[in-house]
Amino acid sequence: MSSVNQAKVNPEHKHKTPTVKLTIDGRVVAAKKGQTVLDCAGENGILIPHLCSHPVLPPFGACRLCLVEIEGMRGYPTSCSTPAEEGMVVRTGTEALKNLQRNILSLIILEHPGACLLCEKRQICDEFRPDAEKAGSATGCHSCGSRDSCEVRRLAENLGIKELPVAPVYLNRPIEKTHPFIDHDPNLCILCGRCVRICKHQHKTSVIDFTDRSSRTRIGRAFDCSLIEAGCTFCGSCVDVCPTGALAERYAKWQPAPDKSVKSTCTFCDWACELEFGIKQDKLICTKSANENIPVCALGKFALAEFLNGSGRLHSCYVRTDGILRETDWQEALAAVKDRLWNYRGDKFAFICDSTGTLEDRFIFRKFTRDVMQSPNYIELEGADQAFKRAAVPAGVKAAFISGGCIEADSLSKLEVLIIQDCYPSEASGRADVVLPVRVLAETEGTIKDRFGRHRPLLKACEPPKAAGSEWMIICRLAKTFGAEGFNYEFVADITKQLNPPPAPPEIQTGQTPGPAQDLKQMRTHFRGHRIDGHVGGLRELNAGPEPAPVSMPAQTKGTFEILDNRRLVPNTHEIVIRAPQVASKAQPGQFVIVMVDEKSERVPYTLCDWNIQTGTITIVVQEKGLSSRKLILCKPGSKLAHVIGPLGVPLEIKKYGTVALAAGCYGIAAIIPVARALKNAGNTVLAVTEARTGYLLYYGDRLRELSDEHVQAAIDGSLSPRGHAVDVIAGRLKSGEKIDCVIAIGCPFMMMLTARETKPYGVKTLAALNPIMLDGTGMCGACRLTVDGKMKFACVDGPFFDAHLIDWDELKDRRRAYSAEEIHSLAATAPAERSHTCARPINR
Amino acid sequence: MTSKEKIPRQPMPEQAPEDRAKNFNEVPYGYDDKTAVLEASRCINCKKPRCIDGCPVGIDIPGFIVLIQEGKFIEAAMKIKQRNALPAVCGRVCPQEEQCEKLCVLGIKDKPVAIGRLERFAADYERKHGSISLPQLPPGTGRKVACVGAGPAGLTVAGDLILLGHEVTVFEALQEFGGVLTYGIPEFRLPKAIVRAEVDYLARLGVKFVADFVVGYNSTVRELMEKHGYDAVFIGTGAGLPSFMNVPGENLIGVYSANEYLTRSNLMKAYLFPEYDTPPVKCRKVIVVGGGNVAMDAARIALRLGSDVTVVYRRAREQMPARAEEVHHAEEEGIKFKLLNNPVRIIGDERHRVTAVECIRMELGEPDESGRRRPVPVKGSEFTMEVDAVIVAIGNDPNPLVPRTMPELKMTKWGTIVADEGTMATSVPGVYAGGDIVSGAATVILAMGQARIAAGAIHERLSGKVGGG
Repeated sequence: MSSVNQAKVNPEHKHKTPTVKLTIDGRVVAAKKGQTVLDCAGENGILIPHLCSHPVLPPFGACRLCLVEIEGMRGYPTSCSTPAEEGMVVRTGTEALKNLQRNILSLIILEHPGACLLCEKRQICDEFRPDAEKAGSATGCHSCGSRDSCEVRRLAENLGIKELPVAPVYLNRPIEKTHPFIDHDPNLCILCGRCVRICKHQHKTSVIDFTDRSSRTRIGRAFDCSLIEAGCTFCGSCVDVCPTGALAERYAKWQPAPDKSVKSTCTFCDWACELEFGIKQDKLICTKSANENIPVCALGKFALAEFLNGSGRLHSCYVRTDGILRETDWQEALAAVKDRLWNYRGDKFAFICDSTGTLEDRFIFRKFTRDVMQSPNYIELEGADQAFKRAAVPAGVKAAFISGGCIEADSLSKLEVLIIQDCYPSEASGRADVVLPVRVLAETEGTIKDRFGRHRPLLKACEPPKAAGSEWMIICRLAKTFGAEGFNYEFVADITKQLNPPPAPPEIQTGQTPGPAQDLKQMRTHFRGHRIDGHVGGLRELNAGPEPAPVSMPAQTKGTFEILDNRRLVPNTHEIVIRAPQVASKAQPGQFVIVMVDEKSERVPYTLCDWNIQTGTITIVVQEKGLSSRKLILCKPGSKLAHVIGPLGVPLEIKKYGTVALAAGCYGIAAIIPVARALKNAGNTVLAVTEARTGYLLYYGDRLRELSDEHVQAAIDGSLSPRGHAVDVIAGRLKSGEKIDCVIAIGCPFMMMLTARETKPYGVKTLAALNPIMLDGTGMCGACRLTVDGKMKFACVDGPFFDAHLIDWDELKDRRRAYSAEEIHSLAATAPAERSHTCARPINR
Repeated sequence: MTSKEKIPRQPMPEQAPEDRAKNFNEVPYGYDDKTAVLEASRCINCKKPRCIDGCPVGIDIPGFIVLIQEGKFIEAAMKIKQRNALPAVCGRVCPQEEQCEKLCVLGIKDKPVAIGRLERFAADYERKHGSISLPQLPPGTGRKVACVGAGPAGLTVAGDLILLGHEVTVFEALQEFGGVLTYGIPEFRLPKAIVRAEVDYLARLGVKFVADFVVGYNSTVRELMEKHGYDAVFIGTGAGLPSFMNVPGENLIGVYSANEYLTRSNLMKAYLFPEYDTPPVKCRKVIVVGGGNVAMDAARIALRLGSDVTVVYRRAREQMPARAEEVHHAEEEGIKFKLLNNPVRIIGDERHRVTAVECIRMELGEPDESGRRRPVPVKGSEFTMEVDAVIVAIGNDPNPLVPRTMPELKMTKWGTIVADEGTMATSVPGVYAGGDIVSGAATVILAMGQARIAAGAIHERLSGKVGGG
């Protein structure tokens, strides 16, 4: 998906520009006059590392990574800003250059959460976590939605970065999730300026720009206003060119990374922009403009994937029998259509469609209406203007076949027979006799005619919902069911041949005339009679305007469980203190509570990290993952949670084990506090080892030093010593013959799995505290079941502690991801934007 | 005979199947005033009304029917409430064809009086007309009773004892009250507003309701009595531990206990996702294993969420424990039935997601201990069905949380609490139990019947103390 290291060809200069000859790495190559050394090298397959440079943007020279050696020039010039000249002798990739580049990239990584790049267990981690895990803010590659497209990550791999010169820092800048479609995390930004430059390049304006200066420089809008207020049209080009996850598409970023791209045409409107589709296993994940010089509108960039993947898509044929639409197969459905329509041949029949379909589809519709139904009533709604139209059926028409949902409500009641083929259910399909599922947009192939009269090819990019068919194919099969001749088309190309070629249209530069990519008002609101924003969350936010109604923030006044404190411990991790005396008075180490922020929330389990019987308070540590944890961390002190249920689960058996090693990561660092305290009080020797990707993610060091006999903090990136995971420390001790009687691991499944794996050879008893998806938490639903030693267990009533060596980790990991698709969907559709942005403009509004 | 017998049993108008298959609104609309009077007038007021014998809570059935005949609808509701705290619920979910209506003398030659529909009518009328009057309460006895679990049993005990002047507190582990009425029975069969209205009524009578309180964790039964001063405790925690089939593949993603499936939808309102945060189970082709009411409920929810639904049951239709009306409704809505079949294995892909289920055909053999003919697998008849979800609705085991913290409580080998049939007293003095935690998975009304017995016994015990100290 990235443009890095791709040779670029500028067609305008292909033939006219004179060439120069130069030597790069001993090879004599030709460059066009004015071409940069970087581009020339790229064209000739010589890859020079770079970040800020982009094929369609003018040289910028910000990242300094593309250094080369040029004979006769002092120092190391940047190849992105040095024009190729006759006789130049250039060297790339020398050891000196590589060292410089490593140093430069290391400095970039110091301010870009990239600890995962330095992790020695990366390979096992990648296998265990094939996709990045959702997180409110990325603290490493594995919680970054742009993990698989990140250019920093790729360069670090290529250059072989093994360690950082000093400990990295986190910039601690507020993350913006309040814009439609786009999440902006300035903490991942490397200030390459590509976004700023593409906006200028494509729109000749600066919706976004560098703001503030020196170490406070960041990408923002004038007066910190929102993107909508700044006049953004949401073409998304800034997201496409961002080399990191700083600018990311809310819908696509947690989807698995595409493994294929297909170029085709957008058919949302007759601008018919050329798009590049990112595909993963035949599913459309994301889209972008196929031409990096020309932006597309928000529909093409952001709405298409969400629209096609919507959960409400029609995926089967339905025939009404005994008053109910019942699911059936194509053969039966088409027989039913014939059965219903047979007596309505002639004037009593009408075919209705709009002009968003392919020319081939409409050719077949017309032919079917004329030749098979022998009716003059072929009605095609013009879609040229973006206004939404519905058709009325002509007088005398008693039966209609409608492609889409664009029919007037009044007409519906006049019909005796109604056949619908569509992508989503509509008012009309609810009253139809037969409903047939169809392919739309990127699922179709054929030809479409754009607003300039040009014929544009449409290639199938992704698979439709299971049974959905191409419209022309459905009608051809139907015609054959009627016994009609002349519908024997095997491929869409057979129909294309029969279309009249269009008169040669004037040459048009699509980028020149302002279209929906430049003007939001021109953007289509409907498609086939469906409101597009009914299926795309970001469009609803966009349509709501710059001052949207506060989004689904919990009704916090009704609850009974007051939040006394809520502070961020480290990035993405909050410590929340709640008044819940009935929990505090009974809590024991290892138990958990279930929290519902408001009456509409999920029931989510959180491990109890501390409690105080006197004050009746409990402490939980929450990592922001998806919607529910996000709602919780947005709760301010003084607000009240609807429900806190607990303590639940079987407490850890507190007895004298001898020496107990506690391995903890992420929220587990807090969760071992009560465990360490109780074990110590029971006379054990407690070794508390905490781990994090990097030093700035560790917390509670002082408390754990106080509560344990020995506290070790390990950092995976080597920013603290020892370097590595908690279990590396414990396994090291075991290896050296130190006696450890029990290991208790609390953290993410990967960390606990790793702990189990590494302690197994030593035969030391190892317990893990499991945290699968739960509903009631009292044994009633069984959602939290897992396999331990081949037996079914419920984590809520049998756990949370289990023998780590007997857990089926693979199953647990997958079960935790059971609802990932829905979770991603809800994040995109209903993200509770904190609307934290307060307009700093000195203007009274 | 009189002309009364000539009036046919009045049908209840209901949503057309094609409409209701798409919504979660209640299926039957209920009688209007006129139809109710007409139906009530079918009752011949026989001398030995056997219908009362069929009612586990002993409602004066002819008594309230006469009141409906006379148009005294509110009074009819009050009459029912003398014996039944939850008439709007029972009118909807009781298997009347197996109870009161089964014994109705009209049923011998004609169809029995629609007692359940009339009960429902009276309760709905009272609620809709906002004239739920509170009965005169006796002076307080100063005795405290705790009900553990706010399901049908707990609510019945609370309703009975508050009317007798005791102080009653109901403890509920979930965030809402009603137990299975709330998390188990779907909106289209029992609107949650009705359950809430019944709970509100009890609260107005003075019953204290405590949500988010898990007895066993937040307090043990013994602590309730010794520390918090409760003179008696009624355990009505229900059958809250789902059973699975014990076949390979049951931990695959896409296999759900009916409890989980129903709780997601009914309690957490997953069908309103993403307005509500709990994601629904999205599946295209689902099989529901089991033949009880819970299986029918799960199947009908799946249908409403857009799935193609097949009920797989190992016995034949006649042996299905579900109410006939529910099976009929399910079939009408387009649910398929594969009877005399049983899953033997669930098959998944490399990501632990269900892709298919292997079933085996069954035939009926000799009767088993339940008196029903035992289903026996037909060798070599295995076949696979492609599905993406399996909902297991084959029953529940009793919830272990309370017994686990009460080692002195006598239990059966099935994990149910041993209770005296006549008093519902457990082996621990002052502690009573009723409902599914005693009888295993059964019906709402049976739970209420046991609760009524327990309430009587508790009152007797507490009254004894009032005098004797």
